[in-house]
Amino acid sequence: MAEATVMERMPASSKPVVASASAAAASGSRIGFEDVSVTYGSLTVLHSFTLTVNPGEIVALIGPSGSGKTTALRAVAGFVKPSSGRILIGDRDVTYLAPYDRKIGMVVQNYALFPHMRVDENVAFGLRAHGAAEDVIRKRVPECLAMVGMAAYGKRYPRELSGGQQQRVAIARALAPRPQVLLLDEPLSALDAQIRRSMLDELAKLHRDLPNLTVLYVTHDQTEALTLANHIGIMRDGRLQAFGGAQSLFRHPPNRFAAEFLGRANLLPASDLQPGEGDRAHVRFGGTVLSARNHHRLPKGSDCLVCVRPHDFRFTRTATEPNSIGGTVVSVQWQGDVHNITFEAGGQTVRMTSTPMASPPAIGEAIAVHFDPDEVTLVPEDARHG
Amino acid sequence: MLVWSKSGRIATWAVAVPLFLLIYGLPIGVIVLASVSGQWNDILPTKLTLAHYSDAFRADSFDALKGSLVTGVVASGAALVCGTWAALALRKMKPVPRRILDLFFFIPSAVPSVSIGLGLLVAFSQPPLLLNGTKMIVLIAHFVLISAFTYGNVTAGLSRLPIDCEQVAESLGARPFYRLRRVTLPLLAPYLIAAFSLSFALSMGELGATVMVYPPGWVTLPVRIFSLSDRGAIFDAATMATILGAATLLVLIGLSRISTKAMVR
Amino acid sequence: MAEAAIAGPAPRTAPQSLWVVPPLLVLAVLFLYPLALIARASLGEEAPSFAAFEQVLKSGQFIDGLYHTVVIAISATAGCLVLGFILALVIAFVPFPGARLASRLIDTVIALPTFLVTLAFTFIYGSAGIINETLMHVLGLELPPINFLYSQWGVILAEVTVYTPFVMRPLLATFSLIDQAQIEVASSLGARPARIVRRIILPAALPALVAGGSLCLLLTVNEFGIVLFIGAKDVITLPLLIYSKAIQEFDYTTACVIAVVNVVLSLGLYTLYRIVVAHFGGKSAGVV
Repeated sequence: MAEATVMERMPASSKPVVASASAAAASGSRIGFEDVSVTYGSLTVLHSFTLTVNPGEIVALIGPSGSGKTTALRAVAGFVKPSSGRILIGDRDVTYLAPYDRKIGMVVQNYALFPHMRVDENVAFGLRAHGAAEDVIRKRVPECLAMVGMAAYGKRYPRELSGGQQQRVAIARALAPRPQVLLLDEPLSALDAQIRRSMLDELAKLHRDLPNLTVLYVTHDQTEALTLANHIGIMRDGRLQAFGGAQSLFRHPPNRFAAEFLGRANLLPASDLQPGEGDRAHVRFGGTVLSARNHHRLPKGSDCLVCVRPHDFRFTRTATEPNSIGGTVVSVQWQGDVHNITFEAGGQTVRMTSTPMASPPAIGEAIAVHFDPDEVTLVPEDARHG
Repeated sequence: MLVWSKSGRIATWAVAVPLFLLIYGLPIGVIVLASVSGQWNDILPTKLTLAHYSDAFRADSFDALKGSLVTGVVASGAALVCGTWAALALRKMKPVPRRILDLFFFIPSAVPSVSIGLGLLVAFSQPPLLLNGTKMIVLIAHFVLISAFTYGNVTAGLSRLPIDCEQVAESLGARPFYRLRRVTLPLLAPYLIAAFSLSFALSMGELGATVMVYPPGWVTLPVRIFSLSDRGAIFDAATMATILGAATLLVLIGLSRISTKAMVR
Repeated sequence: MAEAAIAGPAPRTAPQSLWVVPPLLVLAVLFLYPLALIARASLGEEAPSFAAFEQVLKSGQFIDGLYHTVVIAISATAGCLVLGFILALVIAFVPFPGARLASRLIDTVIALPTFLVTLAFTFIYGSAGIINETLMHVLGLELPPINFLYSQWGVILAEVTVYTPFVMRPLLATFSLIDQAQIEVASSLGARPARIVRRIILPAALPALVAGGSLCLLLTVNEFGIVLFIGAKDVITLPLLIYSKAIQEFDYTTACVIAVVNVVLSLGLYTLYRIVVAHFGGKSAGVV
């Protein structure tokens, strides 16, 4: 059932993609998974996986480790053989094609630069492997190194570069043979936080410069996914749990797992849904009635979850506003630019963040918080909806 | 640190260091000393001479040195090619046939060298392969004896290779042979050098199989040392032994230098 | 169009496993074929029969050789284990200046031919060697007082010297994995060195000891150079017996029978070694 809703919510995949092979390099190629399963012995690590990355689009696959996201990427690269289903790059069926015939670029977490070659030799590797002419190589290598801001480092060896620099070279190396699609497997995970942020900006800029490049981006970090991706797929246990535009998936998660994994939402169990005007609906949470958007058109009278992001709560001391929840403060944490407050309401532990407060509540104090109904979505309860 | 007190430590060393020197330092020292002895009728040699060394680079002894070096290089080179080939071929196989073949490539290391020599003698003294009395049979004996060690070293190296590099190379369009030549073998180089060094050292010291199969014209150092010491020329034997040890160590040290260089890159 | 180009799974597994054939063929011709001929030759020249086997296995020479082989191998292995454990313990846990040099020396000894040590022993323990000369001078003796070199004890001592590094190497690898903090905590709790060795180090070292010991057993059973160089008339082991039968007496059938026994014994020990290494895991045993 959950898969059916995911399928419904994938307008992108149902749209027929028309891209002729000759125009592929210029206008980008899609990546298509059609009902792909991967099994190792009795273990199925990817279950009937269907997803399309449109030409020129960045799709991020996120999920906890072991969720099958890397397997999906490696299936596109050709290092994992599907036990059933098809994989398409452009309109070529590449399912049984060797990796070296797939015209892909790949960047992995630990850079995997060739340690015995200089940076420029690394970047030239793909061109040479394809039998490019020397003058093409002489022109293309500096071009690619300049693209990632490494023009001055061509004569160095990988061991002489920092992690961030190595990853830039790895990206230049992947792009040099002008691949149809770029596969990024946790490309920033080995970098420290500060460099990761600046690399994220650069990846975004790189994609603005190469708008036709189709990118599949695997990460466990939601910030990377939200910053870069047009669409995000959330995976768990080898299945696609949710798929959608980055913004809409964040604002209207289709299920509990998506809501919790993307942005650590509070999910308040509510009952007796009553439709209101527009896409508004009212639900009962403990003794109070809360209003929120019924984006998923949950039926009247059903149980559901109210999905409230920690920063969507507004803090008041008493329940004067509509949409208020009363609770008792459990912990208060000041982190410089924010206050994190945990409180208990209706038997639930709820987290909120706010701008720093001059007089934060004390532990044990009774407080009230409220939220804007337009910012908050009702999410189906997993137990009932599959 | 196991022994904390200073006196305890000193006592431990006082026992261990001389013991160690007695066991490993003394024999080496004695051989080197004997190699320069003119006369040794007392506790220590009474006369020192370099005559044994000048003899060593003449006639039979020099031939044996050349024989050993050539045998070592050729047999180790062949074993390196064969072992690397086998290790690379086995890497892509399914686990069960792979483990069986792996065992098979290791087995020559378990068979006594004298029996290998005897086998070659029996097998190659009759048609279809008549090799008895040729240099070739010595090379084959050395090759068989060291092939397992080469194979083992290369396999160990392959298992430590970063798999990502090879996969990225493939994703960049490198076909298997191109990838092997440009990525896998260069990355494997330190292990190949180590494998070659070990094989070379083993070949230089090989006695059991050689003594079974060597033809009159192709004597190796260990055989020469044995015949010298057997006929009582122990100072000459010690000289040849010193040269054997020094040559082996020189090659080992030289190769390990190259290997470290390759490793750093 | 593009889809039509690639249809169905490509059968790429078959040609790939064929790559193993050339080295396999080389080894089959140069190793298995001779070994098979030994086995065939041991069964007599005409119709296969166990007559030669029976005759050889009952002969005093063979029984004597087997006895010496086993006694020497077991004694030498035991010696290697004791000496190797003590030396490795000192190098690893009571670091002294030059400990690194010592472990380099061990690697060197492994690389050098085994018979060198026998040659050295001639100069040290031989009848005109340093020790005997010294004792004769000091005590005013007419004859050399120490006379063990040309006996099985000489062989055992030489083998202990040569093969102890094969025990030390895996031991040192294991010891480097033992958390020094564990030992420091134990000594801070008042445990004496002997107790630490017994309760912490020995259990951790057991896989390496078993692996190194079984390797030693295999190598000492097959040892030829040391026995040949010592050349004592009454110390004949199986490899030496094969050599003297084949090369000095041209009795190939007998040599082949003994070789079969020797090979079976070695393969048995090798199997034991592989089982031990597989059981304890190659890494913890520190084996190449």
